[in-house]
Amino acid sequence: MKPFLSDAKIQQLADQHGSPLLVLDCEQLQEQYKSLQQALPGVDFFYAVKAFPDDSVINTLIQMGSGFDLASLGEIEQVRHHRVNPRKTIHTHPIKKDKDIRDALRFGCTTFVVDNIDELKKFRKYRHRVGLLLRVSFRGTTAKVDLSRKFGCAADEALHLIHRAQQMGIHVKGLSFHVGSQSATPDAHVDAIQHCIDIMSQSDVPLSTLDIGGGFPVNYDGNTVTIDEFCSPICDALKAVPSDVNIIAEPGRFLVAPAVMSISSVMGKANRSGTTWYYLDDGVYGSFSGRIYDHAEYPLRTLKTGVKIPSVLAGPTCDSIDVIAENIALPELEIGDLVIGEMMGAYTAATATDFNSLERATLIVLNEVQVEGSSHLIRINTNKEKKNSSTLTIH
Amino acid sequence: MSKFWSETLYDAYGQSFSVDKVYFESKTEHQHLMIFHNAMFGRVMVLDGIVQTTEKDEFIYHEMLTHVPLFAHGKAKRVLIIGGGDGGILREVCKHKSVEHVTQVEIDQAVIDMAKAYLPGHSNGAFDDPRANIVIDDGIKFVTETNEKFDVIISDSTDPIGPGEVLFTSTFYDGCKRCLNEGGILATQNGVAFMQPDEVTTTAKRLAPVFKDHSFYGAAVPTYVGGIMTFAWGSDNSEYRNIDVATLQQRFEAANINTNYYNPEVHQASFALPQYIINALKDIES
Repeated sequence: MKPFLSDAKIQQLADQHGSPLLVLDCEQLQEQYKSLQQALPGVDFFYAVKAFPDDSVINTLIQMGSGFDLASLGEIEQVRHHRVNPRKTIHTHPIKKDKDIRDALRFGCTTFVVDNIDELKKFRKYRHRVGLLLRVSFRGTTAKVDLSRKFGCAADEALHLIHRAQQMGIHVKGLSFHVGSQSATPDAHVDAIQHCIDIMSQSDVPLSTLDIGGGFPVNYDGNTVTIDEFCSPICDALKAVPSDVNIIAEPGRFLVAPAVMSISSVMGKANRSGTTWYYLDDGVYGSFSGRIYDHAEYPLRTLKTGVKIPSVLAGPTCDSIDVIAENIALPELEIGDLVIGEMMGAYTAATATDFNSLERATLIVLNEVQVEGSSHLIRINTNKEKKNSSTLTIH
Repeated sequence: MSKFWSETLYDAYGQSFSVDKVYFESKTEHQHLMIFHNAMFGRVMVLDGIVQTTEKDEFIYHEMLTHVPLFAHGKAKRVLIIGGGDGGILREVCKHKSVEHVTQVEIDQAVIDMAKAYLPGHSNGAFDDPRANIVIDDGIKFVTETNEKFDVIISDSTDPIGPGEVLFTSTFYDGCKRCLNEGGILATQNGVAFMQPDEVTTTAKRLAPVFKDHSFYGAAVPTYVGGIMTFAWGSDNSEYRNIDVATLQQRFEAANINTNYYNPEVHQASFALPQYIINALKDIES
């Protein structure tokens, strides 16, 4: 993946807007969408909004024809603001409060995901309005983030749950699975698809939707297979799915990760036990939160050349865990020098915190096409108005 | 190609409207309201993805929810409307010259303002009728707290998911009972039973302990898809459901009201329920 900004342009953005920055390139996002479409022909995509819940991402993906995978009222409000057709949304959180169901119905989203009998029972009173996907768990052994432990019914429970739903008059319209995030191989997808085809063929109720989840890997380490290579066995497996079944997927990381880079700057340096420590103005409590929550190792570089020496990159907070990279070979840096993080779109800003009351990175949006066709090259979102929690004071 | 708006009431079924022009759209406190023009139904008002009223077929709903209880009662002088911010019920009530006073309790002034501006035919000037007292308040709070009494209460609410939810509760029905004059009638919007049979059975269960006589009557409103819309009925006087056509005809003629759906025969026939509703109601008794 070649960087979408030249070094000169990166320096210019930092000079102009300061740091830390996150830079989103909407053209890159479009390219990712197209490449996934080519790799998975006939599959409808529902972007997992949680990966990078940004208005420009949603706006761009609406224009690409994407649907949206939602899991909370906040995400519903965000897509509603963009006038997303509710029919092009699915609510995928397997565990919901009654209010979550009602909020989604009031928006007009009628597709929900369940994976157990108690969750199924919550839909009894809405049974005439909804269509459910039953989430089945298949363990993906190569996924970086395993999602099969927390959610999903066992494959051998699926038919029983479908039967129970039928008894309660609730419409289960299909199956879904999520083998995990950033899978190294497509084996788990292929295996899950084959199991789902088995379940579908044994079900008395016609199951018309197969949701193959996400997990499509991006190239953090330079050694990841291309999306075409990754999806080819998946496409082969999908050929056995009956033609009247809608096949959908919930890509998040794959679409946004390569579309965002981070720009942070060195604000201090120290030599500790023979190693050079650089203190950046962004860290694991900010844009690099995915180092902790997402187990991601982002490609990092500087704009400097020279002899590389073992270094440590630390974040700006007072906490000792706030280290972005240990033992990374970097040229000697000075205060004010920039450190660039590539592939920084997925689960970065989304999981950033306000710890130490530090301001989050400013988002710079490039090449966004507005709905009416006009294109503005830069949008700047400082996130300053964003407040995450409300306080209830009781007297 | 015109754009289409699709109702999202059901996952597996739905109606779509071509949208020729959007007149109004607002999103307030988790409530999304839109009014647009459709070639077949005129102006269409939608709330949270569900059709609330259209210019073309609103008369069926408003006439049946108003004239059935008023003519069945025959001597109603004081009427209470809960909800009904578009003014359609108020317009029909005000056609009854014998009605001396009507209080309308609507939770949201914005709905009234919007309807006056974009659906003026619904109220047709009724908000200015000197007999009308418009109160902006929560309907359930009003019926629980007011000292006023009424002969007929009409609940013209939204669907049970959303702000109208409380208007389908036992507390609301109890409140209505306490501010009805002896022998008064409660009539409420109660959904399309074929599509959502639970709404009928739930209401029946909740009305049973409150009124000596409860039932439903129906009318087919094209944009409330799925067969007849049901209206719930509660009163301590079971005679009101069985007024003979000749008596209704006398009252109708004396009132000298022009209607487009309601007439005494339709009135009486509307209490005849299809067997699937009768069966559903039997199931809860057994």
